[in-house]
Amino acid sequence: MKLLATGWGKAARLALLIGTLLALYILAQARHDERAHIREQAVKLTPGCADKLARYGLAAGASYTSPYALAHSGQASIKRGYSTEDVRAIQRGCNIIDDLQGQLAADPARERWNSTRFVRGTHTSCDHCHQGIGDKQTAAGAPQAGSLSLAASWVMADMYDQFTGILLPYELRQMQCYINSSNGYKPNVADDLIRDVTAYSRFLAAALDLRFGNHYAEQGIDEVTASSTLKRGDDYVRGAARYKEKCAHCHGPQGLGTVVDGKMQYPAVAGPNAFNQQSRNNFSFVSTILPGFLCRNMPLGEEGSLSKQDCRDIAFYVSNMPRPAGDKDGPLAALWQQLMMRVMPPLIQAVDTWQGHDAPRDTGT
Amino acid sequence: MRQAVSTWLTLRAGPIGNELLIGLTLAIVVLPQAVAFSTTLAGLPSYFGIYCAVWGVLFTALLNPSRVFHGGPNSTQSAVIGVTLLPVAPQFGPDYIGYALTLFLLAGMIQLLFLAIRPLGRFLDFVSEPVANGMICGIGLYMIFKSFPPFAGLPVNTQVEWRLWIAWQSFLAVLEIGNMHAIHIGLITLLVTVITRQFKALRNWAILLGIIAGTLYSEYLNAHLGIGETLVEQTANISPAGFVYPSLPLLSQEAMPDIISIIPGAITLALLGLFQTVAAMRLMNRKSGQFVDARHGIFADAVSNCVLPFISALPTCASFNRMSLMQAMNTSSRLAAASSALFLLALVGFFGEYIAIIPVPAMAAIIMVVGANMIDWSDIKAHFQHRPEAIVFSASFLSVHVFGLFGAVICGSLLALVYAKWEKAHPNVTLEGNVLRIRGNIYYGSLPVIESLYHRANNDRRFDELIVDFSAVHHIDPEGIRWLAEIGRNDRVRFAERRNGQDRRDDAGGRPGERKRKDRRRRQAL
Repeated sequence: MKLLATGWGKAARLALLIGTLLALYILAQARHDERAHIREQAVKLTPGCADKLARYGLAAGASYTSPYALAHSGQASIKRGYSTEDVRAIQRGCNIIDDLQGQLAADPARERWNSTRFVRGTHTSCDHCHQGIGDKQTAAGAPQAGSLSLAASWVMADMYDQFTGILLPYELRQMQCYINSSNGYKPNVADDLIRDVTAYSRFLAAALDLRFGNHYAEQGIDEVTASSTLKRGDDYVRGAARYKEKCAHCHGPQGLGTVVDGKMQYPAVAGPNAFNQQSRNNFSFVSTILPGFLCRNMPLGEEGSLSKQDCRDIAFYVSNMPRPAGDKDGPLAALWQQLMMRVMPPLIQAVDTWQGHDAPRDTGT
Repeated sequence: MRQAVSTWLTLRAGPIGNELLIGLTLAIVVLPQAVAFSTTLAGLPSYFGIYCAVWGVLFTALLNPSRVFHGGPNSTQSAVIGVTLLPVAPQFGPDYIGYALTLFLLAGMIQLLFLAIRPLGRFLDFVSEPVANGMICGIGLYMIFKSFPPFAGLPVNTQVEWRLWIAWQSFLAVLEIGNMHAIHIGLITLLVTVITRQFKALRNWAILLGIIAGTLYSEYLNAHLGIGETLVEQTANISPAGFVYPSLPLLSQEAMPDIISIIPGAITLALLGLFQTVAAMRLMNRKSGQFVDARHGIFADAVSNCVLPFISALPTCASFNRMSLMQAMNTSSRLAAASSALFLLALVGFFGEYIAIIPVPAMAAIIMVVGANMIDWSDIKAHFQHRPEAIVFSASFLSVHVFGLFGAVICGSLLALVYAKWEKAHPNVTLEGNVLRIRGNIYYGSLPVIESLYHRANNDRRFDELIVDFSAVHHIDPEGIRWLAEIGRNDRVRFAERRNGQDRRDDAGGRPGERKRKDRRRRQAL
């Protein structure tokens, strides 16, 4: 049999190709082993997760009885138990929801499955929208209605998305969160990041004794439509005033969030660290979601103090502050938004200082 | 033994034998693409891709006189279908299929318009060679990136924006969470294909051998571990598909608002198909030495795409990767393309259950090889000899990954047009003593350059008269005529228009080195 082209050049190129493939294969093997090792390691819980999982009685065993369900209904609901691997997956999932950026982790990349790779900006964490580590409860200990509960969302797995009409399983809905609400990229559906969060959500549903296929009040958001207000129209100026009064203290006068000692204290609602223009949080994209979120969940500790009209006005104002372009906006819009995010904040701050309205404060971007 | 094999192969590789071999290879190559494009990109059942690869290829082979032409399903067209129809109906549903057929029919009719209105068809010629090559290299790389997840048995990332970043994410996912069994199958397929390609007798069989090796290893794994353990996806069984599957586009009155909303998508689809067909035909004309007018390609595509919606098939257009393969395998007649359609029909009809066991990672490995074949270093080197061409090439290559394919075509063509205009606006003007020689065009864009030199010559008091020599001017626009009339009133100016050939002989004789770089000479003269 005759070789097509003999010569050292050809042989060297072929050797280079095969060598590269071999090197990549060895690298892949090493990375796989590392992942397997991390899966076997004990999990260091965040304080919030340690408290929550202890309250819900998470432990390996043949059966699982939820203390929460027992206390609330007086009936023990006995479910199939969790293996030690399951428990670790649930613990890691809880950590990811509570602290996506790994601020509380010794080695964020290892302990959070490289989650920051899928998020642009340094503020976003699941817990900002899915409050109470995905399980927000009222003072009385009941699930808070319209709080984007992960447990209630899990039992509505395989739901039709109301905006696109596409059948979206729970994993895919998680992946959507990363694109626009976190202004990032989809992780692969087979990634441990997705699997562990699913395991945690599933455990929450069992702990709260939610039944599969049911709709619960805590699932999703109570949307605030224009028709549910006094129909005065959404007003940017009114929103600005209410924002200064109610929100600016934590989120900053320009919505850039508050950072102390390099750690995010309150997340950005505008600027490069915030959700992007095609997030459903963006009022200009879907006008009912952010007002619904604000009415139910903001300001922290005074939930429910805002009127529906206030919520719409504030949401309108917030969505008009510069933020990253969405994934489908294209490169030119992305460039424009980057420019706006760089230019507008110092300009507005300069004008404010000049007018003496606001003393300059640390916006902490 | 070795001699016997090579004699047998030489005999087999007679003219018709070689064409049939190319046809069989093309059928094998197009099969995974057809299934993958229709299900993962267009959101349609796999038989849409198969019927396109059968009937679309056959129709275009019969209607298009080009020897090196292979129609069939196309990745970018399929992506456009998915993106256009996503807001209209849920994928894979009956409504979606109806709208998809309507979209294809609209695209076919728009292509007929391009055939009927000549200037529109001429517009497609502005896709120059560097634009087309930049796009091809870009698509080749894109196909390699797109194959990472199936290569490792992972679901495809459906996020379509920011392609390069998503490719990087997919690559990391392969390294970290890829299914090792799938990676083994893919690597075996890749290595067998690449190594067998080095042998002349096996070169055309490389892809087949690679797929067979991958499939055999996957069957070995399934027998030893069970498919529940390996979790490697296999191609769906498509043997129940018949010869044709008649269908009707959705054109009811209720559907009209949605149909109107997909018209921009139909225009994009039609243009993308024609751009690729025209660009691919131009490229193959040069490579194969046979000249076929691109209008034949437009005719074949337009007619096929008006028929295909009625037999459940994706729209067809030229495929760069399969045509490069045909060219590399030295096809010499249309028999190769036509036989590939019939081979595929036979494969699907009779060997459906064997096709069903081909593992998806092996197919992904083949798509990687095909993508790598599209990146031709000799073409790229040629474009980098000339700076403007290099810019146009790089721009269209990069814009495939930044703006998408349609953006690449627009961006590259605009740059090529700007470059052509720029060249024209800097005519070759020299002032030798009192002779002002103008070569090129006198038009509004070039006049400022000519005038500046004219005024310098006019202010030179050493000479009594100024001779304006425009023997080598090939176009003067009205503004240029008015300018000439005006300087004609200047008593010092005398026009020279010599067409006796003396000029040309002089030019051809002396200073050959500078003839090559007109622009440098012009700069020195100015």
